[in-house]
Amino acid sequence: MRAVLALAPRLRRAGEDRSVTPTALAVAAFAVTTALTLSVVGGLRGFVAREADPPSWLDASMAPTYVILAWVAVVLLVVPLLALAGAAARLGVARRDARLATLRLLGVTPREVVVLTAVETAAQGLVGAVLGVVGHALLLPVWAQVPFQGRPFTAGELWVGWAGAVLALLVVPLLAALSGAASLRRVVVSPLGVARRTTPPGMRAVRVLGVVGALVAFVVGARVMNRLGEAVAIALMLGLLALVLGTLNLVGPWTVGVVGRLMARRGGPARLLAARRLLDDPRAAWRVVGGLGLASFVAAVLSVMPGFTVLSGESDPQTELLVADLVTGGVLTLAIAYVVAAVAAGIAQAAGVLDRRREHALQLLAGVPVELFDAVRRREVLVPLLAVSLTSAGVGLVVLLPLFGASLVVRPDGLLLLLGCLVVGTLAVLAATEASRPLLRATAATTVVRAD
Amino acid sequence: MTSQTPPGPPPARPDVRLSARGLVHRFGTTTALAGVDVDLHDGEALAVMGPSGSGKSTLLHCLAGILVPAAGEVTLRGAPVSRLSDRERSLLRRRRFGFVFQFGQLLPELPAQENVALPLLLLGVPRAEAVTRARQWLGWLGLGGMEERRPGELSGGQAQRVAVARALVAGPEVVFADEPTGALDRATGAEVMRVLTGATRAAGASLVVVTHDEETAAWCGRRVEVRDGRLREAPRVHPSTTATPVVAAGGGAR
Repeated sequence: MRAVLALAPRLRRAGEDRSVTPTALAVAAFAVTTALTLSVVGGLRGFVAREADPPSWLDASMAPTYVILAWVAVVLLVVPLLALAGAAARLGVARRDARLATLRLLGVTPREVVVLTAVETAAQGLVGAVLGVVGHALLLPVWAQVPFQGRPFTAGELWVGWAGAVLALLVVPLLAALSGAASLRRVVVSPLGVARRTTPPGMRAVRVLGVVGALVAFVVGARVMNRLGEAVAIALMLGLLALVLGTLNLVGPWTVGVVGRLMARRGGPARLLAARRLLDDPRAAWRVVGGLGLASFVAAVLSVMPGFTVLSGESDPQTELLVADLVTGGVLTLAIAYVVAAVAAGIAQAAGVLDRRREHALQLLAGVPVELFDAVRRREVLVPLLAVSLTSAGVGLVVLLPLFGASLVVRPDGLLLLLGCLVVGTLAVLAATEASRPLLRATAATTVVRAD
Repeated sequence: MTSQTPPGPPPARPDVRLSARGLVHRFGTTTALAGVDVDLHDGEALAVMGPSGSGKSTLLHCLAGILVPAAGEVTLRGAPVSRLSDRERSLLRRRRFGFVFQFGQLLPELPAQENVALPLLLLGVPRAEAVTRARQWLGWLGLGGMEERRPGELSGGQAQRVAVARALVAGPEVVFADEPTGALDRATGAEVMRVLTGATRAAGASLVVVTHDEETAAWCGRRVEVRDGRLREAPRVHPSTTATPVVAAGGGAR
């Protein structure tokens, strides 16, 4: 075991082609995950601290509500952030497949291969975590621009603390190692399971019933909410929200599959290939955009809140403040979700390019234009992205339209902020997918001279 | 087979489809091709043999417009190939050439029929027509009933036959095969060569097969050998087996 581990750095250098892109991408993904997670947790800490020791200018009665809402944001972002960390770990493993196969042939045991991978992925995670802590510190002045409770947090209030930073340096490498080892297990146990792709079974439409049921419950709940006490109403609202979110995750991969099937029916080669890739692994496509679906939904719901207060006549300064903060928080959560989605899309596409490098190179030799794969790549991300974000935001608005329909005319600022966020976020994701563009060309170019 | 080519440099003939003169190519300080002349005639099947590292794959890449030779010229029906731009050569490969590689050229996401239809789709053929023609080719090559299978669900030999269908579906003038049997056992390799040579001939295309394997080369009407970057005509080892058999299911295709 020790000898194998000692060999690792040497093999590593031999295994890398001329490109260090995958390692860099994995480290970057860990860094982004760490920085954003720490920022979100730092925000939560800020609200908790303000609740525990309310500043003189703050109405203390509202503080607990903010803590609840901050928890909602944390819950919303935890799953996509974890998914991103997992994707980063998988990317590192995909790159090392060939080298690990060689090691297996040389007589290294599966267990040693797993340990080797875990150690390497943990190292990437550690580098990413260090960069992430630095990133978190650098982002503090940015978050300190955002006004909450009438006054922006200071950087000190949002800093996650040295204990938090050290915890991140321990937890991120650990999660990375576990995730890397887990994704490797499939390769070790069944090498054919990855290479031999077969048509996956379709998903059942029953999943849709779940989301319909949750939406009905939400609408009914919203209607009876006014008759309940404030605390009960908030609890009910949050519970129903969680229910809707849960069912969205259930129905997401199914929706991606349906979109893929519709796309595959007609159209040119780029559309066909993108559709087949979505059908091939709808869950993977959902992992990239899933967090966005939930965040779009919540942001859409919150964006109509300002109008709600205007119509209901409750325009005391305190409620005004809370509602404005709800919009800020919703859009901020959506923006972070977009950053996560952009990085996840970049990672997924880089992994895809590496997985398919031989097929791509041979297609290019046979005269297939490289632009085809660019077009496929863009569609593969953009179609589910738009489908998910627009559908979720649309559903969010439609659910609340009976309640706040007219308010949109009175106070359209929240909605405009939402739309702006959707547009900018989509462009950011699109830009992130361009990261695999040079990688595609590099893998194509290296195989031309490698005669095999 | 039309060729009764005498040994020595072939004289100019009206039926020369693809021609190379004085090809030179180097990788760093290694000379892969040191002045190669070769002609490929209409409907001819040419085997390019040679040991590993002899430059045979480089020759194929130069002939197919994948690599631009350092010196010399490749012409397709008299029109220079190697002087075209990168984009034009890519277009040329798509429109007028077909390719069969050792393995891994089928896209794993696509079922067999869509893999075969892809070259047609890239040429702008509507989906329905492209898939219909792809299914016809799969039928001719003995793959009826496997149209919906994905590459992962096909055997090595079946996947190579799908690759042959993909190479021929758009009606190429020349098919290039780089070690088409390299990943197959003897019997399966022979079956793939029978289908490849038969279907290529039936489609009126010329064929260049790069291989280090005598038995694979024996399916071609003419054999040349690359040694140290130079070409020489090779004698026929198994004259009895070089009579290219007509593909059973694909006779008279197109």
